[in-house]
Amino acid sequence: MSAIASSPVQRNRKLSSRTVFGALQHVYIWIWLVLFALPFVVTILRSIQDVDGGHSFAAYQQVFESYRGNLWFSVKVTVITIIINLLVSIPGAYAIVRYTVPGKRFVLSLLNLALYTPGAVAGISLVITYSYLFHIPRTTTGLVGAYVVGTYPLMLVPIIVALRDLPQVYEEAARTLGANRAQSLFRVELPLLGPGISAGILLTFVIVFNEFLVTLFIAGPHTTTAALTVYNLTRTGFLPSTAALAAAMQLISFLVVLLFFRTFGSRYLKGTFLI
Amino acid sequence: MSIPASTQKDAAPSTDNSRSRERRRRLTGPAMVLPALLVTVLFSIIPIVYLAIVSFTEKSSFFFRNTTYTWANYSTIWDRYLPNLETTMRLALLSSLIDLIFGYPFAYILIRKVRYRELVRTLMVFPLFGPLYLAYGLSYIFLPNGPLSPVLEFFNIPATKWLYSEPSTLFGMMIFTFPFMVMNIGAALSNVDPMLEEAANTLGAAPWKVFIRVLFPLSYGGVLAGFLMCFGWNLGVFVVPVLLGGLEQQRVISLTLYSKGMSQQDFGMASAMGIVLMAIAFIVTWASLRFSRGALGA
Amino acid sequence: MARVRLEQITKRYGATVAVDRVSADIREGEFITLLGPSGCGKTTTLRMVAGLIDLTEGHILFDDQVVNNIPTHRRNIGLAFQSHALFPHLSVAKNVAFGLEVRGGMSKGARNARVTEMLEMMELTGFEERVPAQLSGGQQQRVALARMLATDPRVLLFDEPLSALDRNLRDTLKYSILALQRRTKKTAIYVTHDQSEAFAISDRIFVMNKGKIEQAGTQLDIYLRPQSEFVANFVGDNNALRGEIISISENGADGRTAVVSANGYTLSAFCPPDVAVGDNVLAFVRPENIHVLSETDGRGDPTVVEGTIEQIVFEGPTVRITVDAKGFPLKVNVGGAERLTLIEGGQRTVRLKLDEVTLVKSNGVTL
Repeated sequence: MSAIASSPVQRNRKLSSRTVFGALQHVYIWIWLVLFALPFVVTILRSIQDVDGGHSFAAYQQVFESYRGNLWFSVKVTVITIIINLLVSIPGAYAIVRYTVPGKRFVLSLLNLALYTPGAVAGISLVITYSYLFHIPRTTTGLVGAYVVGTYPLMLVPIIVALRDLPQVYEEAARTLGANRAQSLFRVELPLLGPGISAGILLTFVIVFNEFLVTLFIAGPHTTTAALTVYNLTRTGFLPSTAALAAAMQLISFLVVLLFFRTFGSRYLKGTFLI
Repeated sequence: MSIPASTQKDAAPSTDNSRSRERRRRLTGPAMVLPALLVTVLFSIIPIVYLAIVSFTEKSSFFFRNTTYTWANYSTIWDRYLPNLETTMRLALLSSLIDLIFGYPFAYILIRKVRYRELVRTLMVFPLFGPLYLAYGLSYIFLPNGPLSPVLEFFNIPATKWLYSEPSTLFGMMIFTFPFMVMNIGAALSNVDPMLEEAANTLGAAPWKVFIRVLFPLSYGGVLAGFLMCFGWNLGVFVVPVLLGGLEQQRVISLTLYSKGMSQQDFGMASAMGIVLMAIAFIVTWASLRFSRGALGA
Repeated sequence: MARVRLEQITKRYGATVAVDRVSADIREGEFITLLGPSGCGKTTTLRMVAGLIDLTEGHILFDDQVVNNIPTHRRNIGLAFQSHALFPHLSVAKNVAFGLEVRGGMSKGARNARVTEMLEMMELTGFEERVPAQLSGGQQQRVALARMLATDPRVLLFDEPLSALDRNLRDTLKYSILALQRRTKKTAIYVTHDQSEAFAISDRIFVMNKGKIEQAGTQLDIYLRPQSEFVANFVGDNNALRGEIISISENGADGRTAVVSANGYTLSAFCPPDVAVGDNVLAFVRPENIHVLSETDGRGDPTVVEGTIEQIVFEGPTVRITVDAKGFPLKVNVGGAERLTLIEGGQRTVRLKLDEVTLVKSNGVTL
């Protein structure tokens, strides 16, 4: 590789081969990114297709008329799940980071159990349990229970990360200044945990809003979420209305994610498989 | 401020109060984790235990008077449903391998070369939305007379070959779990100092050698973790075979389980299948977390 | 403005004793420092006074009131942390007002007035809306002080507040802290491992080691009359010789003088009350109290020591020589004009007179 001895022509060739290789690498990345985005794009395109080949938003109108109830139900259930997750995860995170818990590692593995369980297995087990043991078949409570157990571990992790980064000295300073436990929590600690908590909310929202597999098993005619509706519709073909509902769900989810990244960056999603 | 005033120097020893405060502090931890434990016990553990019990009963006899306990469900799985298990494992294994082959270079380029990592990260969030939309969109793309057909006609490929086949199912599965692989390998690679590669270069190792002797051994943990994570997830695949697969692909356990349990009300069999699937997936995912960095709760 | 009494306070972590029966009586308005090396228990003691750590045994009293069982947020103390601990999500003004807001009982206007007053006192007027991240280290620490004083605590506690700052800042701020304490006349307990810091600002110093108070006294007490081996070595530089008491003579009001045979020397030293003839003692003499004699001085004085110069270092205001006298190295600081003579003289041997030797009863353990 004696660059000194090589002629200008040779040198140019070497240069271009490296740039070509570099370009190929970018191309490789972009191919996959396009593949990720393609189904989404195609769905949108299909959703605005008109009967006679033109473009219109008629499908969306139809979707919001027919499935407004389902969408609203999905939002409701998601919000309830988020609230319960917060009530379960914030104390849980505190317990793990700031207090002693006997058998902490075992407890943590246990809490993650729902994440190791395949969707269909969770579904069938819950159907049986809800129908014959808890006697809450096809209820909203059942849905929420399933969603909470499947997503609260994913809220636990960002809050643990944020809590670990929160030096105890702030809590101590608040105490020496006269704040009792509650004042310290609400005025100092929770605001500083905001980003971690928001990450957990984000994950819960996106997952629960779009969950259909376990729902397929445990939902009933009065508790059909929008995601489940999409699944049912996909069995019937490729109508623009189906595409519209699917596209709408993805758009909503995507906007929420974007909003989060804009505000907080990606730091707090570390350790949740995604970042 | 209500402060108990004590003018006696030799008041009650401070040990009593501090010991009860110690006790309270020791109980606070478990108390705060109790809600989480309760939720898991109620909605995860009890259902699975229940499932295990039901798996030993015949059809839906558990829920009625004369419950018959039997091994029959498991023996039937062994006798009749082995092909289903085989399909499930094969699809999961193949798609995870494909993830590995294409995911490793992707992760490498992402970590070492490309500067728009934030953009890629944002796009990689799509799997969070679930495989439904992905499978649906793909099935539309591959549809005969769909948007891809003009391209296929140009290349003289019969359109029907694409959809409802093993390749399309594998593709759908692989695309969905791709980010899992990339994240795990990426995490491992970012812990490998680029100077190590440079050092190997200066010592005379060609890129291929650098990979075999330096990169791969150092990122092995991430590779393993990613593979196992993808494998574990793909074992439980449901909607991708439904929308993209043919009859053979729809033999996967999750689908069989669904039809047995929900359509035929054969809860005994469905539970047995669930237990078998759970056991396999559990072992795999547990192993993956042991090797992965930044695993949940770490 | 409270009198603080520590009565036999002890803190045990399992088998380890972090603080071992520490007692102290701190007068109202006094500024005392807990001085000692890392791990000596000074921070643990301070945190017990603050209520952040529970006592295993003992009592803490503020003005005759036992405060052991009063939780931190109701003890009405102020604590300055090493890392300033300003709330990153609140502005300077909100930080300073924090203690006032959580206690309630003040109107918004009164709170604002107090905040302004505090910031003025710390020379930070105009910084109200800034965020901690925008301030320099010194400014942050001053905001922390303003925040601490805003609530008018009865005791001020300082947990090595200056150790994270650079040298110059430390020197200026320590006097600001002292001035603040004098102005507000509050009782202050300060923790540091830096001896010069302690000496500069304290009324009294408590030297701590391994969980116990080794000696409590003024700067002079501690420096000139160390009562233990540890204090003699920890505070300032010292030479230590092992010896035995040969005789003791009473000097009436001046106490007793002992004649000590140490390392082959005969020394005359001030004798503490607990020492008797025949006892094993450590004789301490500070480098600045060893005087270099000329050829002719002190002939015939049995306490004069002769030795060879091993090393000479010119330190600027002093010259430090290490002398080998009868096999024992002595560190000597020479000041004034004679230090230059020493440097330029090129002599190999010196004759030394040891002054102000203090004795500490030895427990036989080697230094």
